[in-house]
Amino acid sequence: MNSELTYGKGMSRLLPAGFLVLVMLPLLLLPLASVFIYALKGGLGDFAAALITKDALFALRFSLLIALATAAVNTVLGAYAAYVLSKTRFPGREQLGIVLNLPVAIPNVVVGTSLLLLWGPIGLFGELLAPLGIQPMFTPIAVLLAHIFVTLPYMVGAVRPVLDDLETSYEEAAYTLGASRWQTFLHVVFPAMRGGLITGALLTFAHSLGEFGATVMVSGNLRLRTQTAPLYIYTQFESGNIATANAVAAVLAILSFLLFSIIIGMASRSRARRARS
Amino acid sequence: MPPFLFSHRSRRFLAVSVAACLGAAVLIWTLWPWLPMGKDSRPRTLVLYGFSILEPTITKTLFPAFREKWRAETGEDVELISSFAGSGTVTNQLIMGVPAEIAIFSTELDARRLLEAGVVSGETWKRLPHGGVINRTPFVIVTRPGNPKGIHDFSDLTKPGVGIIHPDPLTSGAANWSILAEYGAAMTRPGATPADGQALLLGIWRNVVSLAGSGRAARTQFDSGFGDVLITYEQDGLAQGSREGPAHELIYPRSTIMSEHTLVVIDRNITGEQQALIQAFIDFIWSEEGQRLFVACGFRSVNVSLNGYNPEFGEIQVPLLVSDFGGWNRAKQEIIDEVWKNKVLKEINR
Repeated sequence: MNSELTYGKGMSRLLPAGFLVLVMLPLLLLPLASVFIYALKGGLGDFAAALITKDALFALRFSLLIALATAAVNTVLGAYAAYVLSKTRFPGREQLGIVLNLPVAIPNVVVGTSLLLLWGPIGLFGELLAPLGIQPMFTPIAVLLAHIFVTLPYMVGAVRPVLDDLETSYEEAAYTLGASRWQTFLHVVFPAMRGGLITGALLTFAHSLGEFGATVMVSGNLRLRTQTAPLYIYTQFESGNIATANAVAAVLAILSFLLFSIIIGMASRSRARRARS
Repeated sequence: MPPFLFSHRSRRFLAVSVAACLGAAVLIWTLWPWLPMGKDSRPRTLVLYGFSILEPTITKTLFPAFREKWRAETGEDVELISSFAGSGTVTNQLIMGVPAEIAIFSTELDARRLLEAGVVSGETWKRLPHGGVINRTPFVIVTRPGNPKGIHDFSDLTKPGVGIIHPDPLTSGAANWSILAEYGAAMTRPGATPADGQALLLGIWRNVVSLAGSGRAARTQFDSGFGDVLITYEQDGLAQGSREGPAHELIYPRSTIMSEHTLVVIDRNITGEQQALIQAFIDFIWSEEGQRLFVACGFRSVNVSLNGYNPEFGEIQVPLLVSDFGGWNRAKQEIIDEVWKNKVLKEINR
């Protein structure tokens, strides 16, 4: 509590925040505001009408569905990856950890093209699957694969620090008391991971909801079949339907705001709890 | 109000339950179409990939009319599953294996690339009416209202200070047509030599300020206020009423090219039960009704007698077709590759 007062009293306390807002205005706040301004230009009626078209509804639903599936898969996969990286020792562990983080840095478009080159008709797996009549690219499966790839680092990043901080003495104590490896995981490690898992799942969900670069390569961008909300926004903007594009963008922005409110709220709660204990 | 409602604990409980209810509501809404009670009977589908500017014409006019016709004849409902992008992008997607049943390209060049990649087994589009060409549209110049830069022909685009928005020949069919139009405009002058064509191309391309991925993307950039001039399809220029954005003026060059848009049936993606539907759609495209719809949307019909129905079409003194350049194979090799890519582009990048 005291730290908030050290800046001084009255107006001078608001100065740093005011300056931050001023800097962020042209960078972030005004562009975001223009989304809402253009979305609501024709009034609430037009805004609603833009949203309830078959294409827009499908795109939003499809995006939510993919985000949900991505979060579900990556909760398991990411938690496992974080556990292995944090709790086991093997040669190349650090390097593997770095590779798992690469999707953050490589352009998502590259993720998309590399998936196409692996699973597409000329790819290594694609050539094997083609005779079986299986073509995973340009289907919802392709979108899911791309999103799992792109969002995995966020899950690992949320869970691994928690596990790194968890002192091994707790686990050793559990073993000494006769707990099996699985019991130790269930009663000692998992409860400690829970906060990281939920944060990671929400982060994964949010990133999946907004993913564009990889999706545009692998989805085929088919309306009513594989078109996610960001692809729909892009297509509408390119066709000059600026209000329609911004209506859907506004919905995504609101969803993201809510998601990140929960994530940040949870993070500060768990910090407070740790400080208390 | 009882005081326990304000306790910290129950307030948290309330917040968590509200969030949970909201989450559940979003979840049910998301899954609804896939749930047994929300599932409406899945209609038949037709999967079409098309070049960028075709989108509103196909999705808002041509397909709805076909859908009505098909319903009247068979009682069946058809849903259009479609995607639109630069013609070259669509071609790449097809080569990578998108499940398109019908593809409509801006240029026959892209149909040939499908053939080379083995997606179609031969020049199958040549067996369709008009060699697969569904409609035409001349390339025009679009300027800001009042034509402040005084642009009247392609030669005016070489003036210093004219910012041109041009689609990118790598991914856009419109860009390839534009280059032919620009080169051809110089070559139709009496006594012109290939050097004149190259000089005009060089002058124009020195003024290109932005390369867009498709004709449609170029239009969006122009509408967002970039550049003084846009080179695009007459159809796209006429279709302004359907787009939001500032007004503009259409300039008809003395000589320009009439683009011809090629339809390709992707036979390997068509199952037996789909054949009748695909054939009916193709018949509809070249029927008088279908061609009249194209004219109403600003495309020029392959059935020239129908073009009188659109009073907005402007006059072009010296119209050119790709056949005047010896067909796309030669035009691509001799003009796009030899002149534009190897000479003009190198000169500009120097």
